[in-house]
Amino acid sequence: MLEISDLTVAYGGVLALDHVSLTVPEASITAVLGANGAGKTTLVRTISGLVKPRSGHVLLDDRRLTGRAPESITRMGVAHVPEGHGIISELSVDENLRLGGLWRRDRADHRVAVEEAYELFPPLASRRAVAASSLSGGERQMLSIARALASRPTVLLLDEPSLGLAGMVLAQIMARLRALTAERKLAVLLIEQNARSALSVADEAVVLSMGTVVVRDRASRLAGDESLRHAYLGF
Amino acid sequence: MRTFLILTVDGLTNGFIYALVALALVMIWRATRVINYAQGAMAMFTTYIALFLITHGVTYWLAFVITLGAGFALGSVTERVLVRPVEGRPALNMVILSLGLLIFLEALAPMLFGGQVKSFPAPFSRIDLTVGSTVLYVSPFDIFIVGAVLAVMLLLTLFFQRTTIGLSMRAAALRPEIARLLGVRVGNMLTIGWGLAAMLGALAGLLISPAIFLYPNNMDEVLVFGFIGAILGGLESPSGAVIGAVVVGLALSYVGGYIGSDLETIGGLVILIAVLMVRPQGLFARGQQRRA
Repeated sequence: MLEISDLTVAYGGVLALDHVSLTVPEASITAVLGANGAGKTTLVRTISGLVKPRSGHVLLDDRRLTGRAPESITRMGVAHVPEGHGIISELSVDENLRLGGLWRRDRADHRVAVEEAYELFPPLASRRAVAASSLSGGERQMLSIARALASRPTVLLLDEPSLGLAGMVLAQIMARLRALTAERKLAVLLIEQNARSALSVADEAVVLSMGTVVVRDRASRLAGDESLRHAYLGF
Repeated sequence: MRTFLILTVDGLTNGFIYALVALALVMIWRATRVINYAQGAMAMFTTYIALFLITHGVTYWLAFVITLGAGFALGSVTERVLVRPVEGRPALNMVILSLGLLIFLEALAPMLFGGQVKSFPAPFSRIDLTVGSTVLYVSPFDIFIVGAVLAVMLLLTLFFQRTTIGLSMRAAALRPEIARLLGVRVGNMLTIGWGLAAMLGALAGLLISPAIFLYPNNMDEVLVFGFIGAILGGLESPSGAVIGAVVVGLALSYVGGYIGSDLETIGGLVILIAVLMVRPQGLFARGQQRRA
């Protein structure tokens, strides 16, 4: 379980997150919604150690993540799929995928995990040797998620996976994500501007506005509450 | 024809040595986005270590191996102790730092080893081979230089393409933040990169010093020529750097042989200026802009 308590982050004098608290239980998807600049990306970047908070902390199963380097946090089981997928286009598909969990001491299981990731996303398996730059947007997003899963994480942070994806591809990826979350008991934090898609797969949802949590509810209830949807999500 | 062959062999062997320096510069450029102006001075310093060992009874080949190790150590310690504190600061900081290290090493070497010009041994004969009465214009040491450089390049390629650390280093150099999110200890990769680069430099020093002798700034020109080779290759591409450096080696050899040996250095600078004016992204780059 990922526990975020009282997290406050400021860039210069500007507050990006203001006392944000949130828990992400295992085997469930928590969606974080909100407009541009609400602090969504700052939240995931702080969890994964790229941004240092001014105060507050993040715990993973009672182990403190705050204050550690990003590479150490990753090695503790937090996989971050960054905004814009973070595929290294100069490397091959296979090299990108193997980088997920390359640090693991259990080399044999790393190979197994990589093969499992290919099985989850068959379009990638047939294109192992090609340069990642030749992949389509949807394939890159698949590769990015596959790469995160290859490190056998317990927490998965997804930053705007819907960005630039066609509806069909997005729906497929979300369905895959839903199944994986249950299967691997993942604690998933799903950052989305596309609220409709996120609410359709999430269990819980929070809405961030100006760096604070303004709504916290079951995803299904939020999706059903017309006034809330209009006020915060714009659909 | 005779002159041409001599100059070509000379140019090729020198070019291969410049290629080591060019590769070292490219490795550090790709990983840290800085030019290490002290690359040559570090190589000079490790060559002095080799000479010290050899004159104290260590065999050439043991000294050779120790010197490569010393190069790795010097490079990685430099990264840890000097480069890391200026990381993330303006690029000029690193320029000043590496120039400072250059001056420091060139001042320290004569204090430790004496400032006079010294001869440095070659492990093989430098006299041209003959078949019957025909001179081949190639000496056993020339063959060794080319073989050693090719072997090192092959090993480096295998290291980067086939090993876990090699892949991590490429990821760290290409996208440091993404690499960190994938669990790559980017700092350690930089340390290894600087170590490997200085090891290439150490090899260059061992291979060129029999021809140019050893003195505290004997690698200055070699650094400049390696740098020109790297620029010719676009600074991003290891293979481009090697080809660029061999081209520089050949061009300078022809300039020195046909026009006048005083003009060699100027010839190199003419190539540099011409490339920067006509094709600043290098001969092999795919037109990407480069900053400072």
